[in-house]
Amino acid sequence: MTLVKEAPARPAGKRPAAPAAGRRGRRRENLAGYLFMSPWIAGFLLLTAGPMIASLYYAFTSYNLFTPPRWVGLDNFTTMFQDPRWQRSVEVTLKYVVVATPLKLLLALGVALLLAQSRRGQGLYRAAFYLPSLIGASVSVGFVWRALFSDDAIVDRAQRVLGVDVGGWIGNPDYVLYALVALSVWQFGAPMVIFLAGLKQVPRELYEAAEVDGAGALRRFWNITLPMISPVLFFNVLLESIHAFQVFGSAYVVSNTSCGPADATLVYTCYLYQKGFKEAQMGFASAMAWTLVVAVALVTAVLFWSQKKWVHYEEAAK
Amino acid sequence: MGTSRNVERRTILKAAGASATALGLAATTGCGGDGGASADGTVTIRYAWWGGEPRAIAIKKTIALFEKKNPKIKVKPEFTDYEAFWEKFQTQASGGNPPDVFQNAVGFLRKYDKRGVLMDLKSQADAGNLNLGAFRNGVLANGQVDGKQVGIPVGANTMSLVVDLKAFQKAGVTPEFGWTWDDYFAALQKIQDRVKIAGDTGYFAIMYLYDLYLRQNGKAFFTESGLGFTEADLTRWWEDGYKRVKAGLVADPKKIEQVKPKSGLSAGLAASEFTWDNFSIRYEGEGDSDYGLAPIPTTDGKHTGQYLGSLMLSAFSGSKHPEEAARFIDFMVHDPEVGEIMGYDRGILATTEQYDAFTPTDKTNKGVRAYEEKVAAEGVLGKITPHPSGADVVEAAFLRIGGEVAQGRTKPADAAKTLFGEAKAAFAG
Repeated sequence: MTLVKEAPARPAGKRPAAPAAGRRGRRRENLAGYLFMSPWIAGFLLLTAGPMIASLYYAFTSYNLFTPPRWVGLDNFTTMFQDPRWQRSVEVTLKYVVVATPLKLLLALGVALLLAQSRRGQGLYRAAFYLPSLIGASVSVGFVWRALFSDDAIVDRAQRVLGVDVGGWIGNPDYVLYALVALSVWQFGAPMVIFLAGLKQVPRELYEAAEVDGAGALRRFWNITLPMISPVLFFNVLLESIHAFQVFGSAYVVSNTSCGPADATLVYTCYLYQKGFKEAQMGFASAMAWTLVVAVALVTAVLFWSQKKWVHYEEAAK
Repeated sequence: MGTSRNVERRTILKAAGASATALGLAATTGCGGDGGASADGTVTIRYAWWGGEPRAIAIKKTIALFEKKNPKIKVKPEFTDYEAFWEKFQTQASGGNPPDVFQNAVGFLRKYDKRGVLMDLKSQADAGNLNLGAFRNGVLANGQVDGKQVGIPVGANTMSLVVDLKAFQKAGVTPEFGWTWDDYFAALQKIQDRVKIAGDTGYFAIMYLYDLYLRQNGKAFFTESGLGFTEADLTRWWEDGYKRVKAGLVADPKKIEQVKPKSGLSAGLAASEFTWDNFSIRYEGEGDSDYGLAPIPTTDGKHTGQYLGSLMLSAFSGSKHPEEAARFIDFMVHDPEVGEIMGYDRGILATTEQYDAFTPTDKTNKGVRAYEEKVAAEGVLGKITPHPSGADVVEAAFLRIGGEVAQGRTKPADAAKTLFGEAKAAFAG
């Protein structure tokens, strides 16, 4: 992307006098750098990399946290693929990703287009639309969502005015997932801000030229805006779908920690959590985690491969 | 980085110092749970339980009392709700760092005994730190596994039917000891006809009620090593249940789900709910109606299949202060003042000292006492069902899969098959 700037060139004539001293100085500089980083490095190794490597090993074992892990080869994976609840969790997650991600991005892009035009108080609007992204991941919003989508609450009443009578969504296995989708879509602020940045970079003169040629608003959007912001769109699609695959908090809170009713909000990570921390099948849970890593990597790879077909990196954009 | 590009020794030292400090801080917070003896001989033990706010307030009072009488022992309380408690406990125990003393239930005894977490408190009793006498109605046996005393009961409770008294009265239904399931379902029908609400909140997903039904028929939910019933038994139980959901005798599970964590009974969605008698206190706080305890329906007009269950206190086998832990448990189950403070929150008090010290004055506690005395007088109490390792996981699965049946998402036969599959895995774990 064009957002990354070159580091400013070192002012000339300030090179250290002797090359030997310079090398020593550089080594010292590196040492200091690593020392400053060491809390982070220690944290990364102990809290992230170490557990990840351990979980890769556990994925091939039967491990209940108390007795030492027993090597079982691919057993966890074969059991997993045949497990109806695992299949259900995959189904629920895919449905969530496929519905929530495009809706969220559409809304983010739509609002970004509106906010890209200069008008009075635009800073306030931007802040207001961004706000849900800041508080969206919190547990309290999950509780609010439960209240909004229950019987006789605002959503139920609104749909009754429209002549739809399905009752509250929270207790209904057919609808509860869409309450989660709504929660995700409501947090469109982060991709919106990125879209806004992208829109600001589209050169004015392209629009002016198109207008002179008689292109309408729709045509300008389709032939100028969309191709010009396609790198930003690509970035957002990638980020949001990876994010959606890992959804946990909203499902856990909105379902009152059961990921139900009737497993209707049993997203992948929620099942993983149940297997690991409720049933203490850490081997199985680790196998699930690594399967998710591979699946997300595959989706990312497919997206990267597809960008050749629809993402334009314009030289002129520089 | 200033004008000089050479990094001074001082900078490196500073960086090293900062890093060491950060790591040191992390290390001290990491070891916060150690709780060793301090210089003046004061010992700190950790005590964890699950339960609501009223229980936490009462227990903290009893801890203060213990600390006053035992100035050399400090007790650090930890508490959460039931589900979070066991998730946290499992993680702590696997890391060798569970609390020294903790609340326990019969469904978890074998699981954690098998994993070597529970102290056999007999040795502490032999050493004179814990009195195993004065327990009422033989409930001390509830805490025994293979001859080891791994739990000390704090109370005794039994399953009951909590009813909305106003709704039952309006429908003209009077539950009596010995009433049958047919009587019960006829009562639900009357409630539906006359009060226009469902009769029950979802009886067929409650493992401990199904256990009673099985015991009425010469079986039990668990055997020493597995399930004590067949897939066909459970299929029939769930088929009947689902039929009653569709008929409206049992409340719509969608509505029950939405009022959680409140009960469907106190939310006015249904007129009765099966639960442990000591839980009955929650309904008065949650709901607007009056609530009372009614007998468990029977198969033969006499036997309810009931037994006395218990919440208990256990100690960690690897505790650094086994003696102090045992003395703390002893105080908690025998001290009359503790009994007065706790009341029947965890069931009718288990020891005679505490039972005699507490006289219920409010309606709910009086009701619990009257109910348990009546059950005992009817002579229907039997020996507790065994709970093999994995019983806790099976109970959760029973509730979840029963919920799927109620929602009409799974056919009873498939649901029963799923439960048997999950139970097998749970017992093996």
